[in-house]
Amino acid sequence: MNTLIAVASTVKAPSVEWNTLIPYFVLAGGAIVTLFASLIAGRTAQRGLVPLLAVATLIASGVFFAIGLHDLDANVLSGALRVDDLARVFSLLFIASALVSIVLAWRSPTLQDFGRGEFYSLLITVVLGMALLASAQNLVTVFLALELFSIPLYVLCAADLRREGSLESGIKYLIIGSLGSATLLYGLALTYGATGSTDFAAINVALSSAKIGDDALLLVGVALTFVGLAFKASIAPFHQWTPDVYEGAPTPVTAFMAVATKAATFALILRYTGQAILPIVDHWQPVLAALAVVTIVVGNLGAMGQKSLKRLLGYSGVAQAGYLLVGVVVSSALGARATVFYMLVYLFMNVAPFAVITARERAGAGEGFDGLRGLGREAPALAWSMTISMIALSGLPITAGFIGKLFLIEAAVDGDYAWLAVVIVLGSAMSLVYYLRVVAAMWMGADATASSVASGDAVLAGASPEADSSKHPELVAIAVLAAAGSVVFGVWPGPLLDLARDAAISFLQLVA
Amino acid sequence: MNISWYIALSAVLFSIGAGGLVARRSPLVMLLCLELMLNGANLSLVAFARMHGDGGGQIFALVVMVVAACEVVVGLGLIVALYRNRLPIDIDELDHLKDPQKADSAL
Repeated sequence: MNTLIAVASTVKAPSVEWNTLIPYFVLAGGAIVTLFASLIAGRTAQRGLVPLLAVATLIASGVFFAIGLHDLDANVLSGALRVDDLARVFSLLFIASALVSIVLAWRSPTLQDFGRGEFYSLLITVVLGMALLASAQNLVTVFLALELFSIPLYVLCAADLRREGSLESGIKYLIIGSLGSATLLYGLALTYGATGSTDFAAINVALSSAKIGDDALLLVGVALTFVGLAFKASIAPFHQWTPDVYEGAPTPVTAFMAVATKAATFALILRYTGQAILPIVDHWQPVLAALAVVTIVVGNLGAMGQKSLKRLLGYSGVAQAGYLLVGVVVSSALGARATVFYMLVYLFMNVAPFAVITARERAGAGEGFDGLRGLGREAPALAWSMTISMIALSGLPITAGFIGKLFLIEAAVDGDYAWLAVVIVLGSAMSLVYYLRVVAAMWMGADATASSVASGDAVLAGASPEADSSKHPELVAIAVLAAAGSVVFGVWPGPLLDLARDAAISFLQLVA
Repeated sequence: MNISWYIALSAVLFSIGAGGLVARRSPLVMLLCLELMLNGANLSLVAFARMHGDGGGQIFALVVMVVAACEVVVGLGLIVALYRNRLPIDIDELDHLKDPQKADSAL
């Protein structure tokens, strides 16, 4: 017993860098406070106090992340986390995405059953997990952070408890997502076995010094890790869950997932490829290039025949993941910058479609193409934002989507993957087919008022389509804001580009 | 004892889990298969930790056990929610997202 105490007293505890960790503590504390506030508060305060606390938590954490930008010396908790510009920029992206989701969910009738406190609290927990994942540089932290954002997200997908589709999407996402996590974990275990360390930097050293670059154990481990990540980022052929889950989940949750889940996974992929397994780049580069091509083709082909707008956006998200992957394949600072920049503008491009879907669902018109007919006449502001977003997503000029694709193409050509640049251009051309179909449905649909009233749901919901835009001022505002953003950053990409460059440099300087 | 036996056993456990996940249709059995996959990974983590002589792998395995428990809790909760809504506890019959005609009758 005495020897045990003697040993214990000589153990040196790792130092905890409290200042750097403040934004994470804010998120963790905010999630708990929001949950308990929803227990105490009465019914009137539910709609005011609880969302206010959630928004305040996210903004406070975002401010702390923003203050810390350009603070480069950032290994915390003995190197378990690295809070650098990559982590901060992506964390700000998750927070912005969660704020959009809160605006969309704010007056949603379907979340009454589930409980508002739980919804906001889980959403903040997801953001915390994603922020941790973006800064993780140790295999244990990677797995823990990945599950911290995945598990609450399964619950959020099933949040609309009375609707069969929501529960179905929840259980499907749980099983497929856990399959991805388990595969990833087995890959991480084999990587640990081959290299003898869970730390990204130590793995890099082990790979570059020893001859284990061709070790079967290691290559299987890295391959399984990529399969697990492909499930999470909906990279083909591991994307099948995406359209189902996007369609079934409540629209505010889908809006959040579409951007934030992809961003979190790509933050990890960037850091993992750029820090841990860079020495064996020749082994994984061709595989990822092939995956990128398959993903772009499958996503664009899948989106063409869709009747549901959410499914269409699911497949379009698959295609966009393929474009993002191109920036990873080239494994250069230019590629990382292009991926981060495209992820940032993706946030702007994706808001308006989900705001429109939310508005149409509340009007009882559903989220299919039929519900879009005549939107141009009834709610011009929403229709214009949607049009701009569709043009930006397809990558036509004067939009941020165009600039984003331009940088990806530049990175691909620079990294001797010019043929991938050609695939990006061909994919964008294919995507015009379905994006423009959405635009056409909004502006050319005749006799809209008659059809949506005739559907009967509109009458049940007590809503008349003409009153659309006046009834959802918050939806219109956020859609217009995001659409304006995707035009402004298309003309003047400077600020976002600087952020993306800082993020790329901050983690690549370790290995350069 | 040679470490490759442990790795082989962990690979077998992982494959049985993955195979079961593909073959079985009940969400409950699928959750069991997920556990099997995670435990396969755990076994190899602990074996590698012994081989390398450091505690990192063992701590990793402990973390995985906690996470696996959380996953099962959420999974069982969702299955109970399905049951209360009188939905089939069968992944193949839960297909109304692909087959919208069923949705109308459910509503």
